[in-house]
Amino acid sequence: MRVTALVILNSAASSSSSPEAADPVVLANATDVSRFGYFQRFAAREFILFVARTVANRTPAGQRQSVQHEEYKVHSYNRHDLCALAFMDDHYPVRSAFALLNQILDEYQKAFGESWRGVKVDATQPWPYLTEALTKFQDPAEVDKLFKIQRDLDETKIILHKTIENLLDRGVKLDDLVEKSSDLSAASQMFYKQAKKTNQCCTML
Amino acid sequence: MNSRVGQATYRDRTLEFVKAVESLKKTVSLAPEVPSGIDALSLDGSKAAVSTQSEFNKRASKIGLGIHQTSQKLAKLAKLAKRTSVFDDPSVEIQELTTVIKLDITGLNSAVVDLQLLCNSQNESGNTSRDTSSHSTTVVDNLKNRLMNATKEFKKVLTMRTENFKVHENRRQLFSSSSSKDSSNPFLRQRPLASRGHHDSSTPAPWESDTNNSSSLFLGRTNADPSSSTQPLVQQQQQQMAAVQDSYMNSRSEALQGVESTIHELSNIFTQLATMVSQQGELALRIDENMDDTLANVEGAQSQLLKYLTSVSSNRWLMIKIFFVLMVFLMIFLFFVA
Repeated sequence: MRVTALVILNSAASSSSSPEAADPVVLANATDVSRFGYFQRFAAREFILFVARTVANRTPAGQRQSVQHEEYKVHSYNRHDLCALAFMDDHYPVRSAFALLNQILDEYQKAFGESWRGVKVDATQPWPYLTEALTKFQDPAEVDKLFKIQRDLDETKIILHKTIENLLDRGVKLDDLVEKSSDLSAASQMFYKQAKKTNQCCTML
Repeated sequence: MNSRVGQATYRDRTLEFVKAVESLKKTVSLAPEVPSGIDALSLDGSKAAVSTQSEFNKRASKIGLGIHQTSQKLAKLAKLAKRTSVFDDPSVEIQELTTVIKLDITGLNSAVVDLQLLCNSQNESGNTSRDTSSHSTTVVDNLKNRLMNATKEFKKVLTMRTENFKVHENRRQLFSSSSSKDSSNPFLRQRPLASRGHHDSSTPAPWESDTNNSSSLFLGRTNADPSSSTQPLVQQQQQQMAAVQDSYMNSRSEALQGVESTIHELSNIFTQLATMVSQQGELALRIDENMDDTLANVEGAQSQLLKYLTSVSSNRWLMIKIFFVLMVFLMIFLFFVA
């Protein structure tokens, strides 16, 4: 379950009514191309940017969208012309992906307010939050609380199952102990009677 | 004199009759002026009554014609609505026809109401015969019934159209394979329509002003087609996007429900755990009791043995017994020897 790239774009210029639609402008970009060989990394980055622009162009405002592209799933969310995209593999749960997009959009708006609307050229400086988000959110449990809760609950359930098995074993052992203690009690009673009998009977001899 | 609307089947010759009567009266009667004045007045009155009656008849015939035309249009609309296939959707004409029929029905409704008012005023004015009044009320009722039937037919056709539309939408969603195709197609098709939309900036968008569009249609203009054809396209787009949003929301709600059910299961497990622990606690108490009994028995036995030991190890009884035995020997020895 990996996240390969997170991209934020300004897709205000790509409203579909104007025939001369300009491509969306990249505002922030974080890619993890360590899986590719050294010489392919640049090409992979370009490819990611291109696909990001295309998908952001085709996502209408206020909508979410998921596109399958070769072995990647691209999830995009366009909120008031600020479009966030995530490239991830098929195993990453879709809902967590959209929660992640929501979160980075909120962070971006908190960090930059509305200044991004005027940006017309691709931003070249990396945004540190995005890069650390990319590494932090490789595991969907970090970003999606529901996923984390579900996972914790499943672990708790497994632990409880083990506990119940232990409890059954304890029950068996307790049954055993009851048997043995009742035998012991009977034997000690016989011993007492014998002792009393020898003490009382032949005192003359 | 024939009525001008072609559908009416009566010929209104009352004016000819009245003229004939007048001419006859003028030739036959040599009555004084006052009665002729009265006659003229009554003639005028009856002419007025007759003219109002013919006015009533004219309007009734107009309304009847309107209802007939509306029901013809309605039949055409029903045929169109039944005919819709997935790709060849004549929703444009259906929209136009629907608006036209709606306007017609409202107009006819108001006309029937007016006619009824006229009929009531005629009946109240009192210079019509009983047959005329019953005739006019019957005519008004007939027209009202026909209008009501037409409205019911209209409603039925509209429901059928919406059902067909829903069925087509379901089939369309079944046949569209992935969401990317759905998202790309509307966008691809939208661009050329968007360019055409610029040329048709004179006609208003159909979803903005319904009456405006229908009035333009009434006047016979037909170039509202391109802008109104974007409406079902945008609807499709919106429905697909709504489906994507729905699936996101559905997945969230499913996750929440899953979490809730897991928590329920966990609570069940905990209660079972508590039951089992309490049952086993009972067993532990039994064991404890048995061990206490054993302890008491063993302690008693130990004390007995201790007593026995002390009695065995103490010498007093033994001394008495040995002395007794010696005395017995001594006695016997003394008796037999001495």
